[in-house]
Amino acid sequence: MFGEVNNGKKKVAFPWVNRYNIGVKYFVEHALDAQYILQPPMTRRTLEMGEKNSPDFVCTPFKTTLGSMIDALEAGADTLIMTFGLCKLGYFGELQEQILRDMGYRFDFVNMAQYSTGGLKGYLDAFRQVNSRLKFGRMVKAGLASMRMADCLDDMEDRYYQNCGFEAEKGAYRRVWNQFLQAMTLAENKKDIEKGYRRGVEGFGAIPLNKPEQPLRVGLVGEYFTVMDAFSNLDLEQKLADMGVEVHRWMNVSHRNLHYDGSNLEVQARDYVKYEMSATATANVWYAKKCGEKGYDGLIHVKSASCTPEMDLMPVLANIGADYKMPVLFLTFDSQTSDTGLSTRLEAFFDMIQMRKQVLR
Amino acid sequence: MKEAYLGIDIGSISTKGVIIDDDHTILSSAYIWTEGDPIGAAGRLLRLMEPQFDAESYAITAVGTTGSARKLVGVMVGATIVKNEITAHAIGTTSLYPDVRTILEIGGQDSKIILVENGVAVDYAMNTLCAAGTGAFLSSQSKRLGLEVEEFGDLALKSSHPTPIAARCTVFAESDLVHKIQMGHTKEDIVAGLCKSVVANYLNNVGKGKKIATPVVFQGGVSKNVGVVRAFEEALDCPVTVDENGHLMGAFGVAILAARGKRLAAPFDFSVEDVSFKTREVSCGQCPNNCEIICVYREDELIDSWGNRCERGKPKR
Repeated sequence: MFGEVNNGKKKVAFPWVNRYNIGVKYFVEHALDAQYILQPPMTRRTLEMGEKNSPDFVCTPFKTTLGSMIDALEAGADTLIMTFGLCKLGYFGELQEQILRDMGYRFDFVNMAQYSTGGLKGYLDAFRQVNSRLKFGRMVKAGLASMRMADCLDDMEDRYYQNCGFEAEKGAYRRVWNQFLQAMTLAENKKDIEKGYRRGVEGFGAIPLNKPEQPLRVGLVGEYFTVMDAFSNLDLEQKLADMGVEVHRWMNVSHRNLHYDGSNLEVQARDYVKYEMSATATANVWYAKKCGEKGYDGLIHVKSASCTPEMDLMPVLANIGADYKMPVLFLTFDSQTSDTGLSTRLEAFFDMIQMRKQVLR
Repeated sequence: MKEAYLGIDIGSISTKGVIIDDDHTILSSAYIWTEGDPIGAAGRLLRLMEPQFDAESYAITAVGTTGSARKLVGVMVGATIVKNEITAHAIGTTSLYPDVRTILEIGGQDSKIILVENGVAVDYAMNTLCAAGTGAFLSSQSKRLGLEVEEFGDLALKSSHPTPIAARCTVFAESDLVHKIQMGHTKEDIVAGLCKSVVANYLNNVGKGKKIATPVVFQGGVSKNVGVVRAFEEALDCPVTVDENGHLMGAFGVAILAARGKRLAAPFDFSVEDVSFKTREVSCGQCPNNCEIICVYREDELIDSWGNRCERGKPKR
């Protein structure tokens, strides 16, 4: 096969998704015994390359992940892995592979959507495309460790966005966060992951905060990729945090994929949805309701343009907002979304919830 | 010497300014077209406002800017507060109409709805992907019909059978409009139809899912169009209030916010209108983001810059 150089090791890459490429790297190196190619973080050029080679009306994550695959191929990857999904995401891989081949790139493509049987056997078959000698035990062991890493990344990210807006010394949270990400990148085994995580939690805990007794709390819900990827949502969470807001987001890989209990959530969200709305919509209804019950000061819904499941969700969120007297801001992101426009809307939302809180108090 | 506060609202189409005193009485005001030159417009605005202002009895101790060029003009006039237009409008209107429940606002390129409870905004929405049904649409259609946008409203009131116009999209609305003209519909019916289509578009897009409670206040440049006001009243089946200063509400709101905020080191000096300000756009080029950095110069001296995503792109003074 084309990739069989470099001592037989393949050079594997995965499109850029928030911070999770560190976890993918761990898995590729430890389970698949392949070389991991980490492409540079996404830039305007990534998006432009993706946009130029994608159908115009496809959702934005298709364009960014395609652009990121191009970045990876340019960085030397010879094998690309693409995830499966419960919405259009499930078709991304097939179309992206075709587009990249039409562009003239040569590479091996592992499309998880072709193996999403739900069983471990499917994963084994998929990853044996990268390493035909892959042993089941090895895959499970490294898989468990990288899942643990995803847990740690998500937990640390929660702590980060809930507190960094209140740090006494500007930049203290960012420093510990970067150290933590570095430790995860260098982790060689599960012990390293646990140690890095413990250090991170302690590091965050030691940072003095100027947090009021009742800080402004905003819940974030929305489409899987755009809501958690800082490049795609124009650093929405950092912008909010910098205004002095506790940012709460449930949607992440560990909650939605690793520890997801769909039927339990459906029961709790039954006042608003009667049946499963696919992808992330049911979980978003459940979490939006939770934010209302906890008395959060506002809710922000994030989606990419033309995301169908999330569009269906908007009237439901409006109802939840009305029932719990919680203002809801709807944001749609595409490749044309301007940073200025976002800042205007966010500032206005912040002013509104802040003035409202003062009056209510 | 009494204190006074200056508020400037620099929008895409028009630039507005007011000076108020502690009782929120308007001491001086002006409304001009931005004409694609926010810095020049702010200078012209100040030149118009200066003669109306009684500099003997008042000193301007705080300045606020709002609107899409708020940052740029804020640097120019040395603003003590720079606020987004949504907050400014909400503050302006609620201080004049404490009972208001719904604020409808249609400007040159944006439209928004603000819902108010107990004098505080509790929900808002603003057009995102589409500018159909805003002032820019009406003014381009009035040109096509050979009318001044100012005479639009009165003409619309003369119609008894408004022509239905497909209003979902500006481009298709225009095709439909041309078609209706060629079919022989009268001008007043078409104009009235356009006013109705602006309202339908607004309620379907910006106002979708929002509970519109009375009293309703309508403002922004398009509120000066009586045809649109009547179309709103018919569609909502309730009276719609338009303040005579509705077009100044953003400037008024940000002046109030300036009054509540910190003070200038020295009273505001109108001579800033004669100082030359220039901007220059620089493409950073140090990474593929290629941030477009805006540098602001006062008399050839770099006084501020923005647009860079990271420290590397920060211009050296």
